[in-house]
Amino acid sequence: MSAGDKKSKSKKSAARKRAAQGVSLTDALAEAAWSEADAALAQALADFDEADTADGKAARKDAMARLGQALSRAGRKRGLARVGELDEEVDFDAEAYDLNAAVAKTPKTVRIQARGVTRGGEMLAKPRVAPVDRNKRS
Amino acid sequence: MSDWTLCIDFGTAFSKAAVAPTGAWSRFDPANVRPLMLSAEGQNTFLLDSAVFVDEDRVLFGRAALNEADAQADNKRAALRSFKTLLSVSDLDRALNTNAPATIDPHRVFQMRDLIVLYLAYLLASIERAITADPILAQGGTFSRRYAAPAWRSGDSAGMHDVIVRLFGEAEAFRTAVGKRLLSPDGLSLRAISEALPKAMERAEALEMGLIFEATAAAAYTSVGLEGSGSHMIVVDMGAGTTDIAALARLGPRTIELPEARVTLKQAGDFIDRVIANRVLESAKWAKRQDERTELWSVLMRQMGDIKEAVMADGRATLRNQGRSITLSFRDMEKDEDFREFEKSLRQAYDHALAVVRDDARARGRSDVQAIAVGGGASTPFIQALIRRKMESTRPRVIPRPATPDWAHAREFRGNLAPVFAQLAIAIGGALAPDSMLAARSGISPPANDRSGIPVERD
Repeated sequence: MSAGDKKSKSKKSAARKRAAQGVSLTDALAEAAWSEADAALAQALADFDEADTADGKAARKDAMARLGQALSRAGRKRGLARVGELDEEVDFDAEAYDLNAAVAKTPKTVRIQARGVTRGGEMLAKPRVAPVDRNKRS
Repeated sequence: MSDWTLCIDFGTAFSKAAVAPTGAWSRFDPANVRPLMLSAEGQNTFLLDSAVFVDEDRVLFGRAALNEADAQADNKRAALRSFKTLLSVSDLDRALNTNAPATIDPHRVFQMRDLIVLYLAYLLASIERAITADPILAQGGTFSRRYAAPAWRSGDSAGMHDVIVRLFGEAEAFRTAVGKRLLSPDGLSLRAISEALPKAMERAEALEMGLIFEATAAAAYTSVGLEGSGSHMIVVDMGAGTTDIAALARLGPRTIELPEARVTLKQAGDFIDRVIANRVLESAKWAKRQDERTELWSVLMRQMGDIKEAVMADGRATLRNQGRSITLSFRDMEKDEDFREFEKSLRQAYDHALAVVRDDARARGRSDVQAIAVGGGASTPFIQALIRRKMESTRPRVIPRPATPDWAHAREFRGNLAPVFAQLAIAIGGALAPDSMLAARSGISPPANDRSGIPVERD
């Protein structure tokens, strides 16, 4: 047996390990799908620290922009999509939106404060809304 | 035991393969689509690096080839990559018989053909290993094979197809001769290659193999399982080097390309990279010295995938260089004259192709044309705007399809196929497509635009 053969036998290949462990297609797809999202999330964690400790408004704004960018990238790599537009005014529907305020009376019209998140047809986080402040509006 | 259709997507950077039950087109169940786990390395096991490295006494393949090429980069050594580009040239025989350059083969013993056959043998061995490791596919059955290729290579798909099937046949003979040694992470010795390769080339196995155009594969994964999926399609494929527009018509038992609709633009992903990099360099007034600009350029190129994605998807990207933040918006890009010119050419090309495919659909009494964007640039806002644009005349309707089909979100995949779908799409579409969508089969290779046997009257 050549040295090369010995070496290759000692390194049990990942494919054989996967076969031996019975790694399912779904698990392998999940690993592949997460591989790029992991890098974006790692970037986001570092950007968060920078945003948290930034000196001054401009530095904080830059770090927040990069944090948002890294999170958006992680979301895209996981097949997530945003729903709604920030500040958009919509008719309130308790099924479709999370009301982000304590109110005595259910509002008719609300403003989107945070966009929702979907994957495929599934709503993972509803858009967060608040009653339209008529004073602010004018 | 079942019968399966296997499609190989021999990609520029990565090769991919997928399997679907034969007949999946008419009895579609997303759960039966099986991308193959080709690679033994890395987190994304579905992507096999398209690379060969000729070392001192051995040849390495895939990720191992790239690692070794990186390690020896200072010695002016490189791995052979981008075989797909080589296979697309008009004089294929001449390209195959060219000697590999010294950076790739320091021994000067290999022609390009040899290295491609070696890589194909490695790819076939990886496919075999993946099938054996798959609990469903390992149960057996027959596998009919096909490969995907661009439709626009020199227009002579028939002649090219026979050459490529012959290469696969030689590779299969070589794989049979050397066995599992091909998959060793330590590579294959030059001695083993010099003993087995000439014999394999003389005794190439006669393979039955189909050719499916990438545009057709895109049409297949987009429209499979849809009721009234439509007979006419326009496909916009923006890759790295070219943006290609093709129109297809499914007529009776066959799918044909409408060649008068075909347009290839030389601007694509790489062009957009340069536009972004130039805009950033222009705005970075602090980078005045040549070394500062060179450093910024290389930072940009390293991060370009992420920057471009953020500009296209979020409308802006922020990056960091030497403690400074630089922001580029899509609006900044639109100020670039070359980019505006590209947008205009793209619009004109699309309008021309769309007019051709709508005329054909109208003449055949069809009511719909599907518009599909594929490739790395599929989600760019200007391409999405193009395929979603409202038409002045309403008939036939133009129906834009999503880059990732709804079925990729099927519950069976637990949300994990959709994120990687774009990478595997052509292999999957090629496996799903019925035989009638093939551009050529072994022994049966009609030209891409052959309309013989298709009735001219309305069908």
